[in-house]
Amino acid sequence: MDRFELRRLDYDLSADHVDLQAAYRQFFKTHCPIETVWAAQDSGFDKSLWERFCATGATTMALSEASGGDGATLVDLTLLAEEVGRSIAPLPWIDHVCATRLLDRLGVLDGDGAVSGERIVGMDPRLGGSSGRRLIPSGAVADDVVLREGDDIVLVSSDAKPTKVDNIGRLPMAWIDPRAADKRVVLASGPEALASHQRALDEWRLLMASALVGLVDATMTIAAEFAKSRYTLGVPISTLQGISHPLANIAVVVAGGRNLARRAAWFLDNEPAERPELAPSAFVYMAEEASRAATMAVQVQGGLGVSAEAASSAYLVRARGWPLAGGDPGCTAKYVADLVVARESRSGKGE
Amino acid sequence: MEFSRVALAAEDQAFQDDLRSFLGSIVTDEVIRHDRETGENFDEGVHLALGAQGYLTEYYNAEADGGFDALRMRIFELEIARSRAPWFHSGTTRMVAQALQQFASPELVAAVMPGVLAGHTRLCLGYTEPEGGSDVATCKTRAARDGAGWIINGSKMFTSNAQNAQYVFLITNTDADAPKHQSLTMFLVPMNSPGIEVQGIRTVDGDRTNITYYSEVRVDDKYRVGEVNGGWVVLRGALNAEHGTIDRDSQGLQKVSAMSEHVTLLAEAVDRIAGIVAEPDEDGDRLIDDESVKYRLGRSIARMEAALSTPDMFGRVANAQVMRDVTPDLMDILGSASALAVGTDGAADDGGAEFLFRLASPMGIYGGTLEVFRNMIAQHALGLGRPNYSPPR
Repeated sequence: MDRFELRRLDYDLSADHVDLQAAYRQFFKTHCPIETVWAAQDSGFDKSLWERFCATGATTMALSEASGGDGATLVDLTLLAEEVGRSIAPLPWIDHVCATRLLDRLGVLDGDGAVSGERIVGMDPRLGGSSGRRLIPSGAVADDVVLREGDDIVLVSSDAKPTKVDNIGRLPMAWIDPRAADKRVVLASGPEALASHQRALDEWRLLMASALVGLVDATMTIAAEFAKSRYTLGVPISTLQGISHPLANIAVVVAGGRNLARRAAWFLDNEPAERPELAPSAFVYMAEEASRAATMAVQVQGGLGVSAEAASSAYLVRARGWPLAGGDPGCTAKYVADLVVARESRSGKGE
Repeated sequence: MEFSRVALAAEDQAFQDDLRSFLGSIVTDEVIRHDRETGENFDEGVHLALGAQGYLTEYYNAEADGGFDALRMRIFELEIARSRAPWFHSGTTRMVAQALQQFASPELVAAVMPGVLAGHTRLCLGYTEPEGGSDVATCKTRAARDGAGWIINGSKMFTSNAQNAQYVFLITNTDADAPKHQSLTMFLVPMNSPGIEVQGIRTVDGDRTNITYYSEVRVDDKYRVGEVNGGWVVLRGALNAEHGTIDRDSQGLQKVSAMSEHVTLLAEAVDRIAGIVAEPDEDGDRLIDDESVKYRLGRSIARMEAALSTPDMFGRVANAQVMRDVTPDLMDILGSASALAVGTDGAADDGGAEFLFRLASPMGIYGGTLEVFRNMIAQHALGLGRPNYSPPR
């Protein structure tokens, strides 16, 4: 591609973006302090927080106006995702939003329940079309789950929700075997359906990247505040470069990951064929950096950081577990390479 | 938020077309080969040709004084980069010229600027000292009053392009007893002054820089820039420009961070390598069919795109760091032939990745080391306070 093309590189948020961001930052500050996160960690889900969140329009906004939604852009959704991550909220919002947007694109978004979030729709966010039993990150709370089997996009549901399995991401995760589901409907098949499904996987990676940006920003801020108030030999440890430089490196990750996710979102919103590698790139970058950063945030706080009662340890396990729900991030890296190799092979032949 | 292609008015389109074709005609293969051999990052012929066409005037002047507007500046920078013109030090001349207009006497500005705009006069930086490292305030080069003038003694490190410059923007110590920020005075010293010696140094990326020595160099007071013992103010203004920490406009027409142009070189290499790995070898095998190649390439792309998105002082760190992180993988992917430099028989990617690996180290050092920028982020973005250093024993 032409790396010297004259394009704007304008990452500034609009006034509407800033309002949206501020509203949700306040929402989580009020309704999802760390105590709420801890209280929900056995189930991985806070039902009343979910209902409150849905009441703000957080699920409907993501859907097209034709389906009763508000037609929010992916840039808008990255702003919400960052706030979900900042508060490590026990909400299956990313999965639900990406799944319902897929149903919407496939023309099978049925009834108001899924739009409003009364019915939770989960998804298998892993790449590829393998069949069989699988771990679904929102499987224990989802009423329906969208997944891919071979060339089919399938909706499965069961009369009784499957049992949650404890997991490092503190997600409402459960094993689901589509073959054993009470209800299994093939929604769509073939190349177009698979492309639409791939778009959902791209969106999940994009929003997960933004959530990890918020998560890392939060745990970095907690560590920085700790370092300012913790003294050794008469000086705050924050003034020691062994502490401050690793924290500065985390600030670099936050600034870069945030902007990459927003640029990726802009391209998916406006020129989806142009830079498809950016959304999975944001995910690959943040999946690797998030657990590294969260580990350093714990390290800065020493023995207090590793305590199970410390916020930093809550961030640490989610930094590891949330992106892992999408399968090996290395598979996404290979997908990034496939996209760029296809682009460069094409441009080579065209010239 | 906006990343769309910029729709150009007819006259801006003509500006871009003319510039691209003019650069194509003056940046010849010979210019690029000579630049590679000398590592000078400067070509007098190219520089004077751009001056004669009036491009330098618009590049060096502020917009209010007839310089490029934001759009044309962006077009200019992109086309210069596209053309691979040896250009790096022109930015230094620009930075010093703008500092002169802010701090130097009108007489000095009037004497120096016409040559700068025509291209005959180039300006280099004398900040860092052999023993001072990145802390430009630790300055041992002395300027002492001598009647109406000054006598300068000392040495400076990384005086890049001094061999092609007519003046050095030299920070000196004029009060050994004062606190360091109240002891500095800036001069614009003519390079043809007796007592200046330029000694070339080649760096690992092939670039040439210099140590410059100043022995009993006599300078008239008219070459002083700013107040006596007020050099820190002059230095800070220019450093902010060099570090890319000045406010950016809001239209997305400036580069995202300092040294992002280096990561653009990396992006070009990655794109080329993405093409190379898909080509079958003599046995019909393709590198990309090796899953470990595919993984390393994808991870490198992801990290590079993150750096290209990272703004301001954060980006300064990300840009050098990503170059260091991914160029070893890119070389490994291409195999043993990536050990060969440009122009060597059978060099993988014609030595592209090999060069970028060598570039990665200096680019984390010049223009302020990564440690300087990590200090800045820690102090100004995270509020962690000034770094604490143990007192010398």
